[in-house]
Amino acid sequence: MRMRSVLILLLLATCRLSAELAIPPIDYKHRTLPNGLEVYSVEDHSTPAVAIQVWYRVGSKNDPEGRSGFAHLFEHIMFKSTKHMKSEMMDRLTEDVGGENNANTADDFTHYYEVVPSNYLETLLWAEGERMGSLTVDDATFKSEREVVKEEFRFRVLAPPYGRFAYAVNKDSFDVHPYRRPGIGSIEDLDASTLADVQAFHTTFYRPDNAVLIVAGDFDPQQLNAWVDKYLGVIANPGTAIPRVTAKEPPRAQAKRFDEHAANVPLPAVCITWLAPAASSADSDALTVAAAILGRGESSRMYRTMVYRDKISQDVEAEADLREDLGLFEVDTTMATGHNVDEGSKAMLREIEALEKTPPSADEMEKAKNQLITSALRQRETNEGKADALGEAIVLEHDAAAVNSDLTRLQAVTAADVQRVMKQYIAGSKRYTITYTAEGGAK
Amino acid sequence: MKRVMLAAVCCLFAAVSFAQVAEQTTPPAPSAPHQPQIPTPVEKTLANGLRVIVVETHNVPLVSARLAIKTGAEADPAGHAGLADTTAALLTKGTTTKSAEEIARGVEALGASLDSGAGFDVSNVDLNVMSPKLSEAMAFLADVVRHPTFKKDEIERQKAQAIDSLNVDLHDPDALAHFVLTRVVFGAAPYGHNLGGTPESIARITREDVAKFHQRYYRPDNAVLVMAGEVKAEDAFALAQKLFGGWKGAGPKPASAKPAAAPAKARVVVIDMPDAGQAAVYVARAGLRRADPQYLAAQVANAVLGGGYSSRLNEEIRIKRGLSYGAGSGFDFRRDVGPFTAGAQTKNESAAEVAGLLIDEMNRMATTPVEESELTPRKATLIGDYARGIETSRGLTRRLAALALYGLPLAEISHYITGVQAITPEQVREVSKSALATGAADVIIVGDAKKFLEPLKARFKDVDVIPAEKVDLNAANLRRK
Repeated sequence: MRMRSVLILLLLATCRLSAELAIPPIDYKHRTLPNGLEVYSVEDHSTPAVAIQVWYRVGSKNDPEGRSGFAHLFEHIMFKSTKHMKSEMMDRLTEDVGGENNANTADDFTHYYEVVPSNYLETLLWAEGERMGSLTVDDATFKSEREVVKEEFRFRVLAPPYGRFAYAVNKDSFDVHPYRRPGIGSIEDLDASTLADVQAFHTTFYRPDNAVLIVAGDFDPQQLNAWVDKYLGVIANPGTAIPRVTAKEPPRAQAKRFDEHAANVPLPAVCITWLAPAASSADSDALTVAAAILGRGESSRMYRTMVYRDKISQDVEAEADLREDLGLFEVDTTMATGHNVDEGSKAMLREIEALEKTPPSADEMEKAKNQLITSALRQRETNEGKADALGEAIVLEHDAAAVNSDLTRLQAVTAADVQRVMKQYIAGSKRYTITYTAEGGAK
Repeated sequence: MKRVMLAAVCCLFAAVSFAQVAEQTTPPAPSAPHQPQIPTPVEKTLANGLRVIVVETHNVPLVSARLAIKTGAEADPAGHAGLADTTAALLTKGTTTKSAEEIARGVEALGASLDSGAGFDVSNVDLNVMSPKLSEAMAFLADVVRHPTFKKDEIERQKAQAIDSLNVDLHDPDALAHFVLTRVVFGAAPYGHNLGGTPESIARITREDVAKFHQRYYRPDNAVLVMAGEVKAEDAFALAQKLFGGWKGAGPKPASAKPAAAPAKARVVVIDMPDAGQAAVYVARAGLRRADPQYLAAQVANAVLGGGYSSRLNEEIRIKRGLSYGAGSGFDFRRDVGPFTAGAQTKNESAAEVAGLLIDEMNRMATTPVEESELTPRKATLIGDYARGIETSRGLTRRLAALALYGLPLAEISHYITGVQAITPEQVREVSKSALATGAADVIIVGDAKKFLEPLKARFKDVDVIPAEKVDLNAANLRRK
């Protein structure tokens, strides 16, 4: 399915090192083509397959005015026709030969990816060049795909009991920054979009100097370079500048509460957010460790007290959701039967304050780091996972080397660092509380 | 500095020289394929009957392990749906030497994950850990399998959580549709209940039920241990001997549950949920056993019908008509005949149209032969999914455990690809006639009934409409008395 991570990008669980474990670094090569396309490659011959990814530096935050959801709708259209490719030809070149393809649209980027048997590498580089260079979609195809995206909206937002809650968290958490607009859009905004919007968006953002190509797996480096030059090096950039989001989210003036309701809410839920720094911040690792101590696993503080000991919650989460421009530090919980959102927010704030006031123990620090390192290892088991890790470092942190250095930095985070970031970003700023309950009172 | 500039000039030169090449208007042809290396498992059976399977891979320093008990939700006693799953979930909630909190803290301190739960035919305990911490983490796995205490307060906590979680699912059209179709396809037979139970059946479960289930089925001669990843086979076997060598079962080995007879008459069931944001539409029927000789042919047939993005169902429902975010189908192969389901979520207004498309496509599989030109790419899709599935230590572990669970040769891990390639159009048609045609299929829709009932009744004669709040998953006929 074409999909997108509408809500939360996996926190930068990219890559973390353990003291006793030598994780081989991701050994990537980099070059920039004359047309500005950045090319990264990671050679690995352990399976006869190769992952090909193109990351465009355009995401939901770049949705045109009155067109929320457009970057994502556009992502779907990129699987339709180009000058030399019929609609769905990308599937013929991947699925039909034993590969797969997909794409997702995040706030800050749109990411297209394929995994194919390695003897199809040239074919896919040609295909990625095709859709970077041209898009020739007709109105009937555009409208049919727009219906698919509307079904995706219903599938993600309207049908699941907590779909509207996740939708509300971004909207309520940002006052100014376009991160507040829902990446999946709305039925009205999707209906308002036109084929002309599609062409304009392609011209504006889908160009070599706004893209990163990552190839990981079984390939010959010299051959790769020649094919990349042949199929992607020849694409020209338009003369126009790439528009960037310049909106600055102001510090929050006061704490706020947003009460959201829906018809179908089996158990009440509540989320508290604080503004956090960008993914590239030196404090990103300390915030990630803080979130793990609060909410990762059944021995985390929030799970232990709220779910296990006091039985007021059905589920808890904590996350440092750090993006390109800025991030959110979030804690949330779904209540257990008979418990309300006020109990939930009180309990979460109690755990937040405890972490601000007292540094975590050495055991907790080691546990959080081991958890984060192991999830990085899991990601690195596949070529696709390695390419994902690299792409996030490049696009969100503007630093490919961070894919490896983040691991070292994570190892160096101290209990005092965790306490410091809790004081700086959480105690030192205002919280927004988003509650989610059934229309007409608790059910 | 100079080197960088030189490199840039070289690139420019290369680009210019290639730009003179004629435009490529068709996809470049593939080069010769590279052959995949499928790792070879080794195995040993301990004196107490525990079968241990190990496969070494050298990719990243991780190991996955699965301890599979060959009994699951099919053995839930009547009125106690969810017992196997509750028993499995409670394993990690306390042993004779460690509390639930000590287990969670100990496992997570290693960066490991230890999860337990039941399926049909199986109860699993899964571990995933970095290699240097393997023996410490495996000690937790062995302890929770062999020495759980099932303390009263842990049972109460687990039951309350399970009931809350079921109540959430009962408000989700797709989850509710799955619960309902299980009942509709299998009625009161052993595969006919929800494996996670119902709020009523979970409330009924006692400590005695759980302890008895554990004592009866969790024994070395009813289990298999699989380990895959960066571990030496000899070390893995030694670890298994150390941790499980002293494990004993009491009394005779349990028999597996009786066959799952399906109700004879096909039904069309609508669960009316007026505030559903989308309708969940399914066509379901009894499928095949895992050990059925037609297993691979059925996999290929499903790849054509509803496995993957370019399958017929997604082509007709999503790509051509924009009626859904995704449509698909699949067999759930089990020890006995498991369910086959085809489905999609769609706006309430188009639910009847989608049901019709699902049925038409299932029948077309049985009536019209699939051309080689369609079959070849769908086989490639299946093979690609398979190869990616066993790329990780976790995927490899699961695949091997499933083969062991159903008594199939482990060598199938390397024969799967050639087996799929050998399937003929005739074999696909044969299996489609017996396992996909919709004469014996049920239709289940959960959604806002007033928006699709009229067109649905125009196509199907007997439509059984049950309001969501009147559904009783405990009853074979689904109705609250």
